Amino acid sequence: MKPRLLRSVTAVCAIVCCLLAFGMAQPTTADDQISECLNCHRQRNLNANEGVLSSQLFCYDCHLDPSSHGDFRDAKVSLQVKPEYFQQSSHRFVACIQCHADVARSPHRSSSGVTCLQCHISFLGDPGIHASHIRVRCEACHTDSQFVELDVAQNEIKLSRTNTDSVPISLANHKTTDVSRDEFCIKCHNLNNRVGAPVAVLPSRSFVCLACHYAPLRLGSPIFLIALVVALIGMVGILAFWFKAGVEDEASSVHRKIQLGSELVWSKIFSREFFPILKTVFFDILLQRRILANGVSRWFIHSLIFYSFFARFALSLFTVFLQKIAPASELAITLVNRDSGFVATFNDVTGIFILAGVVWAMFRRFVTKPEYLLTQEQDTVALILIGLIAFTGFALEGVRILITQIPHHIAISAFTGYLISRILSIASINWQLVYGYLWYVHAILWALFIAYLPLGKLKHIFTTPLSLILNYKKE
Amino acid sequence: MADQTVQETFRRFSVLQRAVHLTVMFAFIGIGLTGFSMAFSSLAPARAFVWSLGGVESVRYLHRVCAVTLYLCVITEVVWLIYYKFLLRGNFFGPHSISFTKQDLLHFRDHMGYILALRNTPPPFERFAWWEKLDYWTLFIGMQTMGLTGLLLWFPEFFSRFVPGYFINLAQVLHFDEAVLAVLYKFFVHTTIRHFRPEVYPGDWTIFTGKTTKEKMMRTHPGEWARLNASGQIIPGGER
Repeated sequence: MKPRLLRSVTAVCAIVCCLLAFGMAQPTTADDQISECLNCHRQRNLNANEGVLSSQLFCYDCHLDPSSHGDFRDAKVSLQVKPEYFQQSSHRFVACIQCHADVARSPHRSSSGVTCLQCHISFLGDPGIHASHIRVRCEACHTDSQFVELDVAQNEIKLSRTNTDSVPISLANHKTTDVSRDEFCIKCHNLNNRVGAPVAVLPSRSFVCLACHYAPLRLGSPIFLIALVVALIGMVGILAFWFKAGVEDEASSVHRKIQLGSELVWSKIFSREFFPILKTVFFDILLQRRILANGVSRWFIHSLIFYSFFARFALSLFTVFLQKIAPASELAITLVNRDSGFVATFNDVTGIFILAGVVWAMFRRFVTKPEYLLTQEQDTVALILIGLIAFTGFALEGVRILITQIPHHIAISAFTGYLISRILSIASINWQLVYGYLWYVHAILWALFIAYLPLGKLKHIFTTPLSLILNYKKE
Repeated sequence: MADQTVQETFRRFSVLQRAVHLTVMFAFIGIGLTGFSMAFSSLAPARAFVWSLGGVESVRYLHRVCAVTLYLCVITEVVWLIYYKFLLRGNFFGPHSISFTKQDLLHFRDHMGYILALRNTPPPFERFAWWEKLDYWTLFIGMQTMGLTGLLLWFPEFFSRFVPGYFINLAQVLHFDEAVLAVLYKFFVHTTIRHFRPEVYPGDWTIFTGKTTKEKMMRTHPGEWARLNASGQIIPGGER
């Protein structure tokens, strides 16, 4: 290469290098400063994985460090997050600040804790396991820490920040509990628990409990399965008995009888007689006009039991529906909580009515014994069953109020249950242990009621309205 | 004089058929309203509807309630089919059946010929004419695909254990497209054919009352009428 050309190339390269160096050494502009601030303060798009992971990394900057700590009762408590746990959890694609919603601020601390319900709102008061644990904070069950405590002032059960020796512990590892295993219940449901949990891990309520309680639309305990099978066999027996008789002109074919029978029901419902039938339903079934015609005291007795069950059933159904469509609404939150003022009072008032109706009926049948009143064995069985169900229900409520240590100003709404709890508190018995047995007694009694429905006196619940509708005659 | 205006009636649909139709009708309207209000959530009427039902969560819940109800009707039909075949010893491809047969193809050809004025009379339709069978089977088969894609959308985490993630997107597209097709077909084609024909307008109540008249039966299902008359199975007064 000619020296002149070499010089020229060298000069051009030098100029280019200078320009590049100059460009790189540009003074920091205001835009760059903003960009630097945004490294921390930018609003990440948490709807995309990129934003979520970037947000997580920002928190990890400090919380992966083993020396990261907070102060609790003059002790240093580790705030190190264990990624090996967190990355295995179902929240691995959720940004930290989506759960710890109020933590991204100065000073850097949280006052509300994790906000699980922001996403998992459908579990708020869910009639399965969650309604009966409504005062238990989500993390108390769903994280792996073994230490829980009852905060009487807040009326809630939460994770304890100390162990049984009152030594502060870290809650930052983010290890979640495998809730598919029943063992996780034992953290509270053990013999020496201090959170007011019954010792026994009780099964879920069943849909058959909806007659009186807010309950899930599932079968629940096998007790209820047995009861339903017995009830079903009883109902099939009744139908088989009914269809032994002829329907209209048919005497032999069951298929034809069912066809004609269903046609009869259809023709009654979808006919011009619909409104007169509706009137019959309203007066004779809902207002029980025929019973009133037989006697005022009889009407009162029947009404005390019938309306109480009816109202409880209606409220249970409404609560199930409301919880499904608007779980965060104030009304739903009130109705799913059996300790809320309205629900507790309502349950106690209706329970007292049922008991009063049963006692009054028994008094008439066994003490005053009016001549026109014929008492059969099935009447006695039905009354005893209903009475025992109501009685054990109140006993259960009393024990529950006692062991869960619900604050008095809340518990008083269940006035009968509260009174029972005060009386029971005199006896030094391990009521946490007794509660489980009592629950099973109550459940078995209700299962017997269900099984007995088609067999004895109680079948009138179905047969009387059906008979009134089918035998309706235009006046 | 009054006696002359009273028409003989015959039972065409059983109580079970009427009850299933009524349930399907209400559930279908419900599923359509809730589904489209979610699909077209940017439009004001959809927003108003969602608001009136308490938000998208409750609309989603009602949509699923309607879906489960609809599918329960499908199961009822299948159970009835088993009962019909094995207990009543019915014939799947007999003249009473809703199944398509070769006869329906011939009826379709002849019917088209009648519509195009190539024939003087419509074909002698049996208990169910070809378009009635089409009506039934579009819904019945549609329910399977809608049900499957709906399940994928309802439980995406569960199904993505077995199928690739894009199946969820596919399910969403198919669920929506078929919903549009089903609603257009049921609300326009079915309603028009059943209720807006001049001879039945403003509505054909047979599926609700279960009863049909002699005149209507002779006109719309002449094959069935002739067959039942010949075999002496037809009994006036509401029963057959």
